[in-house]
Amino acid sequence: MDGGLAHPRAVPSAPGMDGVEVPVPQEAELTCGTRIEPGKSYGFFTDTTLCIGCKACEVACKEWNALPADAVGLTGHSYDNTGALGANTWRHVAFVERLPGTPEARGTEMPPFQSNWLMMSDVCKHCDPAPCLEACPTGALFRTEFDTVVVQQDICNGCAYCVPACPFGVVEISTGDGKAHKCTLCYDRLKGGMEPACAKACPTDSIQFGVVEELVERAGRRVEALEAAGQERAYLYGAPGTPGATNGLERLNAFFLLTERPEVYGLPAAPARPAPRARPGILAGLAAVAGLAAAALVLGVGGGGGGRR
Amino acid sequence: MTKPMEEPWRGETYHGRSALKPAGFDWKVAAYILAQGVAGSAQVIAGAARAAGGADGDGLVRRARLLSVAGNLLGTAVLVGHLKTPKRWYNMLRIVRPQSPMSWGSWLLVVFGAASAATALGELLGGRFRWAWRLGEAAQAPASLAGAGMSVYTASLLSTTSNPLWSAAPVPLAAGFGAASMANAASALALLQRNAGEHESARRLETLAALAAGGEYAAMRAAERRWSEVGVEAPLREGGPKALFGPAAKGLGVALPVAAQALALVSGPGAPARDRLPPVASLGLLVGGFALRHALLRAGDDSAKRPGDYFRAAQGQPNRADR
Repeated sequence: MDGGLAHPRAVPSAPGMDGVEVPVPQEAELTCGTRIEPGKSYGFFTDTTLCIGCKACEVACKEWNALPADAVGLTGHSYDNTGALGANTWRHVAFVERLPGTPEARGTEMPPFQSNWLMMSDVCKHCDPAPCLEACPTGALFRTEFDTVVVQQDICNGCAYCVPACPFGVVEISTGDGKAHKCTLCYDRLKGGMEPACAKACPTDSIQFGVVEELVERAGRRVEALEAAGQERAYLYGAPGTPGATNGLERLNAFFLLTERPEVYGLPAAPARPAPRARPGILAGLAAVAGLAAAALVLGVGGGGGGRR
Repeated sequence: MTKPMEEPWRGETYHGRSALKPAGFDWKVAAYILAQGVAGSAQVIAGAARAAGGADGDGLVRRARLLSVAGNLLGTAVLVGHLKTPKRWYNMLRIVRPQSPMSWGSWLLVVFGAASAATALGELLGGRFRWAWRLGEAAQAPASLAGAGMSVYTASLLSTTSNPLWSAAPVPLAAGFGAASMANAASALALLQRNAGEHESARRLETLAALAAGGEYAAMRAAERRWSEVGVEAPLREGGPKALFGPAAKGLGVALPVAAQALALVSGPGAPARDRLPPVASLGLLVGGFALRHALLRAGDDSAKRPGDYFRAAQGQPNRADR
């Protein structure tokens, strides 16, 4: 058996594979130097200064997760014809054209770095703590052994409460099957020791997969390197203590390196964890009802029965 | 050179595309909020009537208990209907999630449904069986307490989201929903009492409804001020939500009842208006109660589609949990 179209490393007879266990138990060690073990936190570091807008991540994600096409057409928003993250789109490459002067101006000069473009591959942030997970009343949304956030499709009943809970507009109910869908950080691949499809497909390593703590360190060094190279606007979004990890969101396990304000990429400057708002609301409401119940007592709603003027 | 976060936000968005997803809560959810508000507050009123009065309040208590069961059944049916996978409704009872008002609501619904059913059983069989009467009386306190929760938790459910409009004013919104539920339940019971010929009791309920409606109006005004401060009020000032929030919620739910009750008050004793106008006020309050909830749900979905509103509200101020 020659393995058909299987990856060469998955085939025992491939050259140079003598003595290698097949299938490779920790393929991610070969593709991104990361050993995948339960109990550690895994995530993405998406470095937007390396993104070339090829959308290989979008394609790899759709392929691996067998996601159907969304609306096929042109948005008019630069080369972004994907539009947004949704039930069937778990990676979304944003394109921002930065032209000097007025919006009508044509770019006749090319800056030395990143030309006139900002490109960024957006994804579920796998927040810690995760607002969608805290909203979910069925337990369909859960935190995996890899510290990622996944919807169990056999549990979700489509109540849709995770949809407004998400501070990044990521989760969506599928019109096809009536359940919530979003990036799983390739939960099935992680279980098999494989790097997530988007990160593996990224040709420039704009998307890097790894242990979150290691990624944060690496990202910090990248910011310093960029500053030294003259890109002084680089900063992290979603790493602990940075914009994006705000108001109760300790960190985003999928975090970003940006060079413009977050809003330019469609991200909020200071997203918030909604859960702390639950209690003050319910207490104020109960106080209002208690006050009116006391008023009912004073009015004597129980008395006067049968009275006909 | 400065870092981008040291510069002010100048209104940039990503191609004007929304940064949040609308919840898609439709009229069924608005009907659910109204029905459960009426059912819950009816049990609060039944509890108050039991605590205050003797046998005089029996008619009111009986109707309040039956009304709460009817509202609860209707509310549960439309709630399950709004699920996108309704046959899995029971998964709501897999876990208890203290951070999720949706989870509180699922369990409140169970407790309230059971307690309400027990009070109704007491009404229906209490005359024949002593145990049924005892069960009904024992269930009144839990039904009233769970009913208070049913009346307000839906506001917490809306404000415990990332939606710019819903999340901006958790306290006034919940106070408003609680008062609205009491106004709606008192109105529904006043209609039933008038229908049963208990005009004196109906008048007291109408006074309670007027007080509650005043509280609702004040709370919603506070919410509107908060929305303006944060800069997220625009969706309520245009399109369908504007018509629902203005003419329907405030016109039918506040102005009409006030006018009808005032006219009834000034018309002399014995004038036909004295008994015919108050039911108009009660109906107006119920229709207005639905319009208020529906306006807020629709405006919330519009709010989610306005990236400028969201980015303005999320400019780094500390968590607004205390507002």
